[in-house]
Amino acid sequence: MDKLLLIARREYVSNIRRPGFLFGTFGLPLIMVGLFVLISAISIQSLSTVSDQVGYGDASGVLAAGVGRPDNFTPFASEDEAQAAFDAGTVGAVIVIPENYMSTGDVTFYVKSDITEALSDNLSGYIRANLQTGLNPEEAERLINPVELSVRALDSGRVVNSSGVIALFLAPIIFSVVFMMGTQITSGYLMSSVVEEKSSRLVEMLVTSVSPGQLLGGKIIGLGLLGLTQLFIWIAGGLLIIALGQSTAVLAGFSFPSDFLLLSLTYFILGYLLISSIMAGVGAVVGSEQESRQIAGLFTLPLVLPYFFIFQFITEPDGTLAVFFSLFPLTSPIANVLRLGFTSVPAWQVIASFALLIVSCIFTTWISARIFRWALLRYGKRPSLRQLIGAVVRNEGMQTTATGERAG
Amino acid sequence: MSENAVSVRNVSKTYGSFRAVDDIAFDVFPGEIFAMLGPNGAGKSTTIRMILDILKPDSGSIDVLGGKLDDARKNHIGYLPEERGLYRNVPVLEVMTYLATLKGMSSADARCRGLELLERLELGDVAKKKVSELSKGMQQKVQFAVTILHEPDLIIIDEPFSGLDPVNTLVIKELLMEQRTRGCAVVMSTHQMYQVEEMANRLFMINQGRTALYGPVRDVREQYALPAVIVEGTGDWRNLPSVERVESISDGEGTEARPGALLYLRPGSTTTEVLSQIVAQPGNQVTRFEQAVPSLNDIFIRVVERDNGHG
Repeated sequence: MDKLLLIARREYVSNIRRPGFLFGTFGLPLIMVGLFVLISAISIQSLSTVSDQVGYGDASGVLAAGVGRPDNFTPFASEDEAQAAFDAGTVGAVIVIPENYMSTGDVTFYVKSDITEALSDNLSGYIRANLQTGLNPEEAERLINPVELSVRALDSGRVVNSSGVIALFLAPIIFSVVFMMGTQITSGYLMSSVVEEKSSRLVEMLVTSVSPGQLLGGKIIGLGLLGLTQLFIWIAGGLLIIALGQSTAVLAGFSFPSDFLLLSLTYFILGYLLISSIMAGVGAVVGSEQESRQIAGLFTLPLVLPYFFIFQFITEPDGTLAVFFSLFPLTSPIANVLRLGFTSVPAWQVIASFALLIVSCIFTTWISARIFRWALLRYGKRPSLRQLIGAVVRNEGMQTTATGERAG
Repeated sequence: MSENAVSVRNVSKTYGSFRAVDDIAFDVFPGEIFAMLGPNGAGKSTTIRMILDILKPDSGSIDVLGGKLDDARKNHIGYLPEERGLYRNVPVLEVMTYLATLKGMSSADARCRGLELLERLELGDVAKKKVSELSKGMQQKVQFAVTILHEPDLIIIDEPFSGLDPVNTLVIKELLMEQRTRGCAVVMSTHQMYQVEEMANRLFMINQGRTALYGPVRDVREQYALPAVIVEGTGDWRNLPSVERVESISDGEGTEARPGALLYLRPGSTTTEVLSQIVAQPGNQVTRFEQAVPSLNDIFIRVVERDNGHG
């Protein structure tokens, strides 16, 4: 087998067994599914114990015509009868409209729990429709329900009903967070794998078996596949939740269009390549894992920057800020996933951001490969920026620690 | 194999203004143990790294196993650096198998041979243990096993015995000798001179980047032989015609050595003359008579002192 693939396989196999990885990969979706099931169970339970039927007694006669009566509203002849039904549990709430309603507007609710907004909205609409006499059913319906809300994300082709709005806005955020976590975890593994081989001096043995290029390439491929595995498991978990959630108000009718998934996946792969090549370079230069994490943090900061500007992305979808973040390679994966979810991104920006990402991936991989090779066998003092630039520009190849320290 | 395992031709390497290696040349043959000697900082590691293509020489050329060290040739070398390590959280046999597959072995062969070697090193029961659970000496042995697992044609090994107890030293030594017997060239860099005397066929000593000694171990020692003979026995050596002066050796090379004398020869005299003069005198009893050859340790110190301007 090609040595590159051997290295890739080792990175994949040894990291997939990490307890942390397994927990992150399977634990996260399981926790989410668990939470979801729990929440559904609680809401189903509350529905089953308290009837959603509403009884009302109308002494004022305002609802005598019964125009547009909501399905779950049942008239009772008197307040006492309604009260009896309430006690028996056949209705979950009782509304009492007194004789002097027209002059005072007073209405009394008897409920087991809180008055829901929907209940009071329904009542208001019902009364409003009956205050106006001589309406045809459609006019009455408009009085009851003046706005039939549906939200259409511009050009994204995604339509959700009013209750799905939360999901519409949450989804891109969750999605991009998942992407970022995936990238972070795998590129972090890459860095620590480089640091481990360097600090244990194994690398000196390894480079007499394989070239630094094979070592770097194998690691990037192996851990990239690991990241994709994780991502697919998460996506499968997400789709499962969505499928399960179709019966609930929050997720009803919600789905991820496949083009959104495909674009996001492309951003993930390119984003991973960019970050991992940077991490490999950092890992090779820095001796300890702790130190490398600090430096790696500097590079991951720009990744999360778009989150601080979500509001601007929504209010000014084509503002300078949005366009800039969508094109700048370190921010473009997250920025574009967010923007694609919320509004729409012009095709040229998507294409331009892909092009810029690919170019910068090639560029950082090229730089990192040179630094990687140069720094792999240097121990002790961290090289200066000038030395690093020199290593890249002059392509100096492998260097060992300057003599005198331990050459002998 | 007819070609040399290693051919170093007029190689130099400079770090900035420091000339680490200055025009050195030597060959390593298949089926020999070749010792690389030199004080700390003399250029040994630099030379080894140039052989392994980790560093590029500024001038000169190096051939390994008959050519430039390419991917195919890399599969036939085994290298154990002085500062060495293994993946810590991976089972022993798995590390060995992985590193051997990187040398072109099949996974199954590597496992099989790895287990064999572990048994040989009395580590059969730790095959499934993680490297981090092993003692330092055990880890050393595993690293050694990794170096020879793929039956390389050239082994380069830096301080093979450091940190090993006498029993383990013997085991490793035997394995190294076996490698030589099967035709492998072993380049061994060490400061343990008595190991070189015992094991090495030839040696190369580098000091201040330049060749200080090069040749068969026996030749090098004879080259540094004193104009003297060691005599043990009873008798009076002082009035022999060919002897200039006599030094007594009370603390010989071993504790079992009986008190003897070092007889310095007059210029122009031969050892045979001295022997015949001793035998000619009645009453002299000789139990040992040999040319005074200094230990490699002494030679090493003398060379370093000479080159550094002390001697």
